[in-house]
Amino acid sequence: MSGVVMAGVAGPGRPRRLLPVVEIVVLVAMVAAPFVLSGRPELVTLATNILILSILAISFELCWGYSGIMTFGQALFFGVPAYVIALVGRDLEFSHIWGTLPLAMAVGLLLSSLFAAFLLLGRKTPTPIFIALGTLTGSYAAERLVSGWQYVGAGNGLSSIKLLQAGEYEFVEGTAFFFLAFGCLAAVYIGCRFLTRSQFGLVLAGIRQNEERLAFFGYRVQLYKAIVFSLAGMIAGLAGALYSYHQGFIGPGNMGPGLSTMAVIYCLFGGAGTLIGPVIGTTAIEALSYVLADIDLVKRFWPVILGLVLLLVVAFQPSGLLGLVVSARERIGSYRWRPRGGNPTGG
Amino acid sequence: MDTAVKLIFDLLAFTSVMVLIVLGLGVIASMMGIFNFAHGEFVLLGAYTLFLFQENGLPSWMGILAAPIVVALVGLLLERTVIRRFYSAPIIAMLGTFAIGLVIREVVRGLLGGHYKSISEPLEGMFTVAGLSFSVWRSVIIVITLLVIAGSWALLSRTRLGLQVRGALENPGLARACGISTTRLYALTFAFGSALAGLAGALIVPLYQLSADIGTRFLVQAFLSVMLGGVGTFEGPVLGAAAVGGMASGLPWVVLPVLADPLVFVIALAIVKFRPQGFISQGRT
Repeated sequence: MSGVVMAGVAGPGRPRRLLPVVEIVVLVAMVAAPFVLSGRPELVTLATNILILSILAISFELCWGYSGIMTFGQALFFGVPAYVIALVGRDLEFSHIWGTLPLAMAVGLLLSSLFAAFLLLGRKTPTPIFIALGTLTGSYAAERLVSGWQYVGAGNGLSSIKLLQAGEYEFVEGTAFFFLAFGCLAAVYIGCRFLTRSQFGLVLAGIRQNEERLAFFGYRVQLYKAIVFSLAGMIAGLAGALYSYHQGFIGPGNMGPGLSTMAVIYCLFGGAGTLIGPVIGTTAIEALSYVLADIDLVKRFWPVILGLVLLLVVAFQPSGLLGLVVSARERIGSYRWRPRGGNPTGG
Repeated sequence: MDTAVKLIFDLLAFTSVMVLIVLGLGVIASMMGIFNFAHGEFVLLGAYTLFLFQENGLPSWMGILAAPIVVALVGLLLERTVIRRFYSAPIIAMLGTFAIGLVIREVVRGLLGGHYKSISEPLEGMFTVAGLSFSVWRSVIIVITLLVIAGSWALLSRTRLGLQVRGALENPGLARACGISTTRLYALTFAFGSALAGLAGALIVPLYQLSADIGTRFLVQAFLSVMLGGVGTFEGPVLGAAAVGGMASGLPWVVLPVLADPLVFVIALAIVKFRPQGFISQGRT
């Protein structure tokens, strides 16, 4: 999206850059989607859902693709804020957009900072397995707790959530909600792109390449990771709030390992290591799932197919769908490609 | 008095099964350096094998014998085709085995049709010793576990194969230079670990209900046990499993059952956090 600015930079002798092209294509497709689909409201709903889940996928991507934190519990930071929003709507009858969306982000941020502080910070460097397991456990335990807690609807979840309001206007499923989700996704995307291309992002790229060396340089590697993890939790919180308003429903499954796994699959299928990859992955998987849902056998074993896809991607095509189009060099980073004499593109 | 005996027996039986699961997980983790996220699903497969045998009217003991064999074969096949690709990259291995687990879980879910199935205890009833009654099946679980532990220990410390395994564990490069095929050992180890998980699944499932999601719970608990006990030792994971298993089956008697599970995780994670090297710090690693 902000790639529009960068598209012109590629001069002679420099490899042709495809990532901005991909970004523009996705952007155009998104803006056009509600107009093309306007005759079929259920497809607009599907598209909105895709946008919201893309935000979740991007939050996972920040953890995994950009700082190597393997989190199997990203849905926790999606589901808990969604529940908070639903409860605020039910018990306080408050759902104004200026209050609830920031509240969801704050809840996500708080929760993920607590997790980051526990899992990542400390005198001893945690092993990747400890982090993966800690997040998985958190997500699993939360799902179990919520399904046994009557106040939040137990196993049935919370339904008929109060509609999101902006002034007097109430957001229902449809084009308006689509553009709200689109705006959120764009803001998140641009924010993440800015973050990953900044000096901060440069440190992250260094950590990804060689964590030990960065630590010897004096960077507090774990602190950087904790910050990214917390920010990712905040983004997931935003997605969770949008999701609960859009569906009008939130259940224990939305914070469990199931949805967390989906975030992993979206991201890896689309292409880890880029920001646009998760968006493409989410779109591809959700669209396929919608199209194939009519076939009974496929519907029954759809999760199996997803698992096989994940396995194939991990074993044979680690760069995902995007890797088929965009070269490794371009995906890994472009910190060196600065236009001679010009302003550094990143910062 | 009877309640206390029942509690202790529940605790011991559950702990035994945890020990079996954790032994398999720990063996794979210390040998190949990968954490098998599909291990919970191997437990599920073992349970499902027993279910299939009962469903088709075959005797339960055959199902229990078949479970470890079936799961070992599945494990062997997976190791030969997919998992060996991941040995050089432990983090990718996590993702890969996670994906395998997802596939197995969802296949079983599809086959079960999303229902819960109860499986009858192969040996029902109680027996009475000195005025106290004991559940037969729980006793069988405990005895089998003790036999398996003794057998594994003897295999590791008394046989030629065990020596090779210990050698490969200590220094894989040197072991290979001595003409020990680590590839073969890794395949065997993986199959052995899977077999233990399968056996555990078949033993424990009569006490639970079979559903596709039992794997996740065992996976999380088993991982915590391995990390509690420390990787690379034989005794560590067994101790860890005893601790986690004891907490998991003991806590529901003390606090609300809903809170018990998460509480176990929190306690275990907190211990691991502040003692990452495990109980046995002067282990053989």
